[in-house]
Amino acid sequence: MPKEYSPEFVGTVTKYVFVESPDITPQHLSIRAYEISQGVMIKETCFGLQITGMPEDVGKVIAAVREMDPYHILVKDRGFPPGDKRRCRANLGGARPGYFGHEFEMGLLRHISKGLKAMEKGVKPDEKSVNAIIYHDKPLLDTQRLEEIAVSKSREAGTDAANSRTTE
Amino acid sequence: MSKVFIYPSTSLILSDMVARFGHEPLGAAIKIRERIQTPGFDSPPLQMTPEDPKKGLKYAAVEVPAGVRGRMAIFGPLIEEAEAAVIVNDSDLAFGCMGCARTDELVKFMIRQRKDIPILEIVYPSNEDEGLAFVDSIKNFLDGLSAKEVPK
Amino acid sequence: MNDADQKVRVAQLSCGPEHSGVQKEIDEAAAAVNAEMFFPDVTLKDVKKAYKEFGLEARSADLKLAIARAKALVDGSVEADAVFIATCFRCSEAAIVRNELRRYIHNNSTLPVVSYSFTERTTSGTLLTRMEALTTIAKRRALLAREKQVGITLGIDSGSATTKAVVMKDNEIVGTGWTPTTEVLKSADIVVNDALTMAGLKMSDIQAIGTTGYGRYLIGDKMKADIIQEELTVNSKGAVYLADRQHGEATVIDIGGMDNKAISVQDGIPGTFTMGGICAGASGRFLEMTSKRLGVDITELGPLAMKGLSKEVPMNSYCIVFGTQSLVNALAEGHSKENVAAAACRSVAEQVFEQQLQEVDIKEPVIMVGGTSLIAGLVNEMGRLLQTEVVVPPYSQYIGSVGSALLASGFIDEKKKGE
Repeated sequence: MPKEYSPEFVGTVTKYVFVESPDITPQHLSIRAYEISQGVMIKETCFGLQITGMPEDVGKVIAAVREMDPYHILVKDRGFPPGDKRRCRANLGGARPGYFGHEFEMGLLRHISKGLKAMEKGVKPDEKSVNAIIYHDKPLLDTQRLEEIAVSKSREAGTDAANSRTTE
Repeated sequence: MSKVFIYPSTSLILSDMVARFGHEPLGAAIKIRERIQTPGFDSPPLQMTPEDPKKGLKYAAVEVPAGVRGRMAIFGPLIEEAEAAVIVNDSDLAFGCMGCARTDELVKFMIRQRKDIPILEIVYPSNEDEGLAFVDSIKNFLDGLSAKEVPK
Repeated sequence: MNDADQKVRVAQLSCGPEHSGVQKEIDEAAAAVNAEMFFPDVTLKDVKKAYKEFGLEARSADLKLAIARAKALVDGSVEADAVFIATCFRCSEAAIVRNELRRYIHNNSTLPVVSYSFTERTTSGTLLTRMEALTTIAKRRALLAREKQVGITLGIDSGSATTKAVVMKDNEIVGTGWTPTTEVLKSADIVVNDALTMAGLKMSDIQAIGTTGYGRYLIGDKMKADIIQEELTVNSKGAVYLADRQHGEATVIDIGGMDNKAISVQDGIPGTFTMGGICAGASGRFLEMTSKRLGVDITELGPLAMKGLSKEVPMNSYCIVFGTQSLVNALAEGHSKENVAAAACRSVAEQVFEQQLQEVDIKEPVIMVGGTSLIAGLVNEMGRLLQTEVVVPPYSQYIGSVGSALLASGFIDEKKKGE
């Protein structure tokens, strides 16, 4: 017979709070979060916090924490409560798969933080950058243009060769 | 406030951007949380059971691998629920729920088939200037959703 | 005893089991044989580097992760006792990665590997024998190193179709017993008595007992067996022992009544193996049905097939129902019994070749064992497919019993010490 499963923390939400800041550490975050914790569970981690509780309570804590450094603190939902054995590295031997995705995006956070800060100041993105982040197929060179380039390059080569012969 | 499907659905950045600019991100964690908080038969780690690939038959035929159908049992309902979507197309390093390329192809296709919802398709920024363009384009897109909601 | 206390650590390289709802089945199969699954710890940097170095362009990120984890095992940065590679059935991308990783680990480390493609219907029961073999190979190498039988030992193989027993004395087979499996314990009693009678020995003369096959636990418990062991390791051991190929490489093929085994062996110890039998068209059962339909005894099917030409009759089905249809049609069309018998043998050989032999590297000699190895037509067709001369050792139908009796003799000394 399959084993019955009785869930814990029903009705709660868990949020990851990531901090990638020169000024704020996960410890700073947790101190602030505890001050206003309102009965939510707070767990400090190497990248920030995990906050678990009823959705409104968690929302309030998140809002307050975000204020500490809005450009360097990012928040995301988590399916599991903190320290759940099923996702814990100590039990699995290695990191859960989602961890690598976070690791990848953490490497990009500096661009995001700078972007958020510039946007706040009213800076508009330049056209080249806008084009770069909009998804489209890489444009292929027109075949006629390619031919023109090829012809001009071969002429250059021919001229160069002729020159080198005359100088000999 | 609109429900915005995010792709990759495990993305920290997209989840944050959508919530930060006042909308509700629809990511894989929402559906995993549902399973983790629902009683039933024990099936660690995700509380996904052989019933999930069966539910996935709604989105992919029986000859499609179980891992694709199981994942579609998570993504299918989210896509149906979505009122908008943001897709980051060069997300080759998203694992777990997003770790199967065949599922990812099907997910993107299904989003694009939702002709009734606005979709933003972008790529990750590779420098500060692109970071600004990335954030700015997401904000503009999401603000556009809010503007549409006002007349309601 | 130390071995028994310490869990065997099996590294899992996979894509899809969590989302197919079968991770729990994998974990349970491991737990049942005192093993635990774990995921080799790597970083994102390792993933990028390993993926690039390995050079196989998989698009699925979880497969990239599997590649990185495999490299960590081969490099030795993560320690494991064995490796289990699992990906979704019917995923071609994953099948390519699974095969290449299996080959890579097998060629570059001493870790035993098993690969498996699962569906949402895969259960821990299906995985148990594979997991048991994996843990045995990982932890009981000393036991598997035995090359000679000593003393008087009894080996019983309780298969899905037949039950076999062998009595061995001083490295010789002195008694055998064989009967179709009906009630597991009753069938065992019959074959044990027959083997003892033939050997001229009594039960009290037996110094150690080994059991294998589907009924191994039931019989093993009742007879207080010294070793109860799955058939993958036992048959490998028995095959190289009987074929006198205890050293070097070999491939063991056992087409059974219910499932087939293909095992790549190094010095008598399985390196990689597959075990399957999704459909009966690729099993001994189909040949049994064929002989019934042709009105000949199963023992006559092989010689009959040897007289026929398999290519004269179209027949190649993994499904026993479709296979039988082809058989009936062929007879109705006036094909000879000989040709039909040969075609049935070729059909089974082709199915095993297509479905299973792709998952192990075929290395010579190829040794065929089990009851079906006595069907010369089948051995002939398999040899033709593999383009090699297949070795069928003496007593090949008793392979499980011989392997069990051989391994059991390792316990005689232990028992003496205990007395």
